Amino acid sequence: MKISEISGRISAVMIIMALSAELIYTVSGKKYDFSLNENRQLASFPEFSFSALKDGSYGKQLNEYITDHFFMREKWVSAQAYIKSGMGEKIMNGVYMDNERLLDAEISSRYISEKNINAVNRFFKNHTGMVYFTVVPTSSGVYDDILPEYLLTNPEKNQINALYNGLTDGIRKIDAYNILRMLNDNYIYYRNDTKLTSYGAYYVYRTVIQKLGFQPLSYDKYTIKHITSDFRGNLYNKCLYNGTKSDILDIYNYSVGAEVTGCTAYSNNGMTYRKTLNDESFLESGDMYRMYIGKEEPFIKIKTSVNNEKKLLLIKDSYADCFIQFLIQHYSEIAIISPENMEKPISSFINPDNYEQTLFLFGIDSMNNENLFDLINK
Amino acid sequence: MTYSSLLFIYGFLPLSLLIYWFTPEKMKNTSLLLLSMLFCALNSFRFLKFIVGYTLINYFAGLFIGKFRNKKIISAIPLFLGISADVIMFFMFRTDFLDIFKDKLKIPYEFFPVGVSFITLTAIGYLIDIYKKCIRPEFDIVKFSLYMMMFPLIIMRPVIRYNTFRRMINDRKVTLCDTGTGLTIFVKGLVKKVIAGDTMYAMYIAVKSVDIWNMSSVNAWFGMTAYLLSLYFTLSGMADMGAGTGYCFGFRFPHSFNYPVFSNKMRDFASNWHIQIIYWFRRYMSKPLCEMGKSHVYRKIIFISAWCCVGLWYRFDMNGLLWGGIIGLTVVLEKYIRRFRILKITGIIYTYVITIIGMVFLSGENIGQSLNYLLVLLGGNKIFADSLTLYLLKYYIVLMLICTYCSTSLFRNMVMRSGKSRIKSVIALLSPVVTLVMLALCTALISYMGSSELYLISL
Repeated sequence: MKISEISGRISAVMIIMALSAELIYTVSGKKYDFSLNENRQLASFPEFSFSALKDGSYGKQLNEYITDHFFMREKWVSAQAYIKSGMGEKIMNGVYMDNERLLDAEISSRYISEKNINAVNRFFKNHTGMVYFTVVPTSSGVYDDILPEYLLTNPEKNQINALYNGLTDGIRKIDAYNILRMLNDNYIYYRNDTKLTSYGAYYVYRTVIQKLGFQPLSYDKYTIKHITSDFRGNLYNKCLYNGTKSDILDIYNYSVGAEVTGCTAYSNNGMTYRKTLNDESFLESGDMYRMYIGKEEPFIKIKTSVNNEKKLLLIKDSYADCFIQFLIQHYSEIAIISPENMEKPISSFINPDNYEQTLFLFGIDSMNNENLFDLINK
Repeated sequence: MTYSSLLFIYGFLPLSLLIYWFTPEKMKNTSLLLLSMLFCALNSFRFLKFIVGYTLINYFAGLFIGKFRNKKIISAIPLFLGISADVIMFFMFRTDFLDIFKDKLKIPYEFFPVGVSFITLTAIGYLIDIYKKCIRPEFDIVKFSLYMMMFPLIIMRPVIRYNTFRRMINDRKVTLCDTGTGLTIFVKGLVKKVIAGDTMYAMYIAVKSVDIWNMSSVNAWFGMTAYLLSLYFTLSGMADMGAGTGYCFGFRFPHSFNYPVFSNKMRDFASNWHIQIIYWFRRYMSKPLCEMGKSHVYRKIIFISAWCCVGLWYRFDMNGLLWGGIIGLTVVLEKYIRRFRILKITGIIYTYVITIIGMVFLSGENIGQSLNYLLVLLGGNKIFADSLTLYLLKYYIVLMLICTYCSTSLFRNMVMRSGKSRIKSVIALLSPVVTLVMLALCTALISYMGSSELYLISL
């Protein structure tokens, strides 16, 4: 027998064994509904329907199912991240993989929705209280010197300026970009997430609270509790790249200051329940960051032991979650509205006129979502 | 479903091989046809309907032509009808001129049957061959259906003539060694598509994302080279995957590309790029037309027009036409230049420059944009290099050099020329291991999305 023939036979046996082994393990392996590391629901086995077969979605769903439940999927995806970054192709699934940190590579494709700007302007016109607006850059905006230039055709600074220029003059715009940018040698952003760390949030708080009319607390008054050092956030979820260090989640506490006396969450279905502000049970979930204010609810009301009768309405996205802990020392009541989670208009939760100050605090990437503020003027 | 998806590689391929092996000899064609239909249905049921309809039209057109083959005029009617149907299909899906038909047939606009351009050529060639009495029509509908819709052929087939296919299907047996060779070719195609094609495309996108008037000329050259490599590796990768799968079922399809990039004359590029497609246009277009006139100039014009048609087959607009025209024209002119002695390296550089200019047209959105790009290539922006150049050099240059090396025949020639059988046996023994490693690499690279469906050009 010729040597090429032997080699052909070996190839056949080895490849077919590899293919079938992977197939058998994929089919017979244990199926999970949810991936903790990717923080997302996995595809379920597609139910056969003729209409799905007709437009081709059945084949796609079947491929998705195989992909999601592929034997050792997370290892394969991690391997992909390593191979890509090793080959020099630094971008995977919209995430730029630097050795130091992961960054969102698709910042330039974002645009600032006119609809959102108009909604905030209308909110300001319709209500009597003062309106403050802070937009926080993502880590890609603060660390954009890491990103190659071709990804920066529409830098976040321009996006922030466009947003601020669109807001009417009466709204107080508070700049967070330049402060964060100045401090970018510090641990102000997570390495595996687009969001601010508590430390970064502290610096945003210092500026914001002065504009809101208070003296900020100095840094050394806080006791800092490390909740976990295994946090890997939304950027990690998309590429499972382990080449960066995992992140630390901190809680800042001013022990001799005011405390939270009551925290009530309101769901979309009308249910209300009391909770603690932080919820450490989320450390076991796919999204540890949620630990800061617990389950996503449209409205959370916090009462504190401060008795200055001052009330703040905070309209926010997840960038504000680690920011709230600093506000507790200044207000007797904080109403937190998350437009992302709202299914009912704002009036079914609160009357914004009862609050003399309203603070909008958002990450710039949320402004991309043009339906974000649909319900805040109703 | 495409060849470069997990569902195909780890589901459809091993299962279909198993089913095929355990089918009795007589039923093998039928089982292969059923598997192909399943493959089409998993793409979408609409695709299956389309392809079955297409097959039936050409099957009956072929039968009728064959029936009246001795009466030239009568047999021209089914020939005309069959070819018109094929051509209408081609224009209906590749252009938007015939959207009326789509509305009438209630075909959604987003539906695109992958491979329609290849099937059209195949079918037209088949009908003409019967009309010219080169072949007899196929009565066995299973065999004819396999010719049209066999799943190793369906996406980017080598357009082979029916008598070649008939020889293959009637006289085939599959040994374990063939399967091994086939799977190796398949993995080779996968590597071409997933590693080389997709990364080179990412590099092209990196260059393209900069505004054209700020692009430096080095970047422009890098970008177009990346596009050229990406196109070559994507097309030849898909063809290899198809050919490799076919090998596992006993069909030895020819190669579609024979290392065309970085040839040392345009003629080599032209004759090694998408070989069967070019051959098709030569056989069914330029040859009959050339026979009509004997003048030298006339033949040259026919040659160039045939290349223009190839261009239009790739892209039905001015850009495609110009791409074909440039290649046709340079091949013709080359004959006069080549009287002077030139070095091999000069030849390579010259071919490379012409190919890149062609690619500018093939990749551009419209003529204006392509002309701008051409200007930038020639240094029109007065920027030689910028920070992006450094970035590209830092991260992509190694890959690009490897891709460049692999797109030439250097490695193959090295193996062929090394007379020592020891080298050959070492390579033969290493091949299973290398193939397996490459398979794992590609699996990792498509593991997140589950497939890699970037075709660059929808053919």
